Amino acid sequence: MSEVATAARRAGSIAKTLRRVAVGLAISNGTGLFLVHGWNSPLWSLFFRTTILGLSATAAFALFEVWPRSLPRWVQRWALQVVAVGVLMPMTTFLIYVLSTPAGAPAFWKIPTRLDGFVHLTFLAILIAPWTALAAIVRQKEAIVRHQELAFALERSELERQALDARLHLLQAQVAPHFLFNTLANVQALVDAGSPHASRVLRSLIQYLRAAVPLLREPAATFERELQLVRPYLELMQMRIPDRLQYSMNADSSVLQVRCPPTTILTLVENAVRHGIDPSEEGGRIDVEITRAGDRCIVRVSDTGVGLDHPATGLGTGLTALRDRLHLIFGDAAHLRLSSNSPRGVIVEIDMPVHA
Amino acid sequence: MTNHATALIADDEPLLRDALRRQLASVWPELDIVAEARNGREAVRLFDERHPDICFLDVHMPGLSGVDAATHIGRRAHLVFVTAYDHYAVQAFAQGALDYLLKPVEQARLAETVSRLKERLQSSRPAINTEQLLQQLSTQLAKLQSRGKVEPLRWIRAQAGKTVRLIAIDDVDYFRSDAKYTVVAWRDGGQPAEAIVRTPLKDLIDQLDADQFAQVHRSVVVNLRAIGHIKRHDNETAEIHLKGRADVLPVSRNYVHLFRQM
Repeated sequence: MSEVATAARRAGSIAKTLRRVAVGLAISNGTGLFLVHGWNSPLWSLFFRTTILGLSATAAFALFEVWPRSLPRWVQRWALQVVAVGVLMPMTTFLIYVLSTPAGAPAFWKIPTRLDGFVHLTFLAILIAPWTALAAIVRQKEAIVRHQELAFALERSELERQALDARLHLLQAQVAPHFLFNTLANVQALVDAGSPHASRVLRSLIQYLRAAVPLLREPAATFERELQLVRPYLELMQMRIPDRLQYSMNADSSVLQVRCPPTTILTLVENAVRHGIDPSEEGGRIDVEITRAGDRCIVRVSDTGVGLDHPATGLGTGLTALRDRLHLIFGDAAHLRLSSNSPRGVIVEIDMPVHA
Repeated sequence: MTNHATALIADDEPLLRDALRRQLASVWPELDIVAEARNGREAVRLFDERHPDICFLDVHMPGLSGVDAATHIGRRAHLVFVTAYDHYAVQAFAQGALDYLLKPVEQARLAETVSRLKERLQSSRPAINTEQLLQQLSTQLAKLQSRGKVEPLRWIRAQAGKTVRLIAIDDVDYFRSDAKYTVVAWRDGGQPAEAIVRTPLKDLIDQLDADQFAQVHRSVVVNLRAIGHIKRHDNETAEIHLKGRADVLPVSRNYVHLFRQM
């Protein structure tokens, strides 16, 4: 796996180098065309020189891209690369002219045509090379930005997928067949027994289903609607295990119209039933409290069930999904806290901003 | 001993106990329900007291489950499991040729079960040997319950002052091992906070998501998302500065390679 990755990276860097050399040669030899007109020596010598200049500029650009490994704070790498390319051009031209002077011939600056050639070449090289380097750096930076944008878009779609997952999970949790069939079995028992409670229980079930089903499709609910969902759920649960569940619900009237992600409170209450009350032989109580403090809302669901230390308490994926959803909607402005209740049980608190 | 068969009903939901009792009364009037249990433990205790011929056991009960209770009872009674929709359990019952009823219990289905039970009682055949089956079933159910626990840890149970908190793993900035325990540096509603877990750091590491947490020192594991910047030292070590937190974490020589420039 890593060998493949290394090979891919190597192939990538070879392609990059080849591309750079090609661009370097194209620009340097293209620039050479400007000098063809006044060139007195054979043309091959001109393009030989521009080729050398192009290659050395590319090499300098690549060298200072990675070397030295760390730079003092006041030196920007791009500036170093541009300056290096700029400084190298007259030096290389000078070297070419010195080395191409035949043994015993006078120095090139003493021959006007050669000096002329040297000055032209140097001038053009200094003019063109650093700008080319600068353009290359800008292009590279743009590519990085594009790459980041792509990565960002990817991350966003990942978040959207998570939100969808959370919704699917909710769907499964709510119409959990286990809950539904168990409740229906209770209804049937009451009907068969001719109990006067039958109709009341059926009403709770209908209320619950009516509140639960459309809620899933809406992006936001209000606390009032949440409570309309939670109340019949708790009524049903209490009817099923009357000796093991007591509950209370309290909400400031000022929070009823506050918007919240759908099934926020139901998730907390369901979690308290499933992981707190249900595994406990003695059962316990669940208290739901919604209060408002300025522009913040605090939802608190506490239970006196088996608590965090109970081995059977696998913490619900429901809570994790809820936390992710809150994060998606409110970012860092909403918090979900879990702590132990005394003497037993769990307290879950959501602290979230009131949406105008 | 009377000629009448005796039975125990165990269910944590009282209405469902009543319902089954009533349904049995109409399908099998001679059956004597000698005990009703509210959970698995009570079922076991009442069984030991009354020794009924048949036990109707709800699978899902607090404390000891129906399967656990059945394991205890073994071959001493004919067992009938009762469950609301539970796909996997039903599959297991069917495969193991165990008697089971689905809630809400249908009269016809109950009648079938009853006639099978009567046959077994009359031929005084011993109850089928369920030991191995039940063992399989209970490991299967345990596996189902722990589904998802193989995923990386998502919440950490930690002591913060006097209270136990559950800390979401995403809120953890880093773990630092101390003499006897592990310190969790985390964000409590955005504010830096610290808590303590008893699990040694080396055991925690295995449960963490390797894409999110990296060990940078023998005693430090850091959340990569919490890193602000990294300062290298000349001696091949480095230090990590965190976002919005004054703490500076050491990176030892063995881990510096994690932060080489790309």
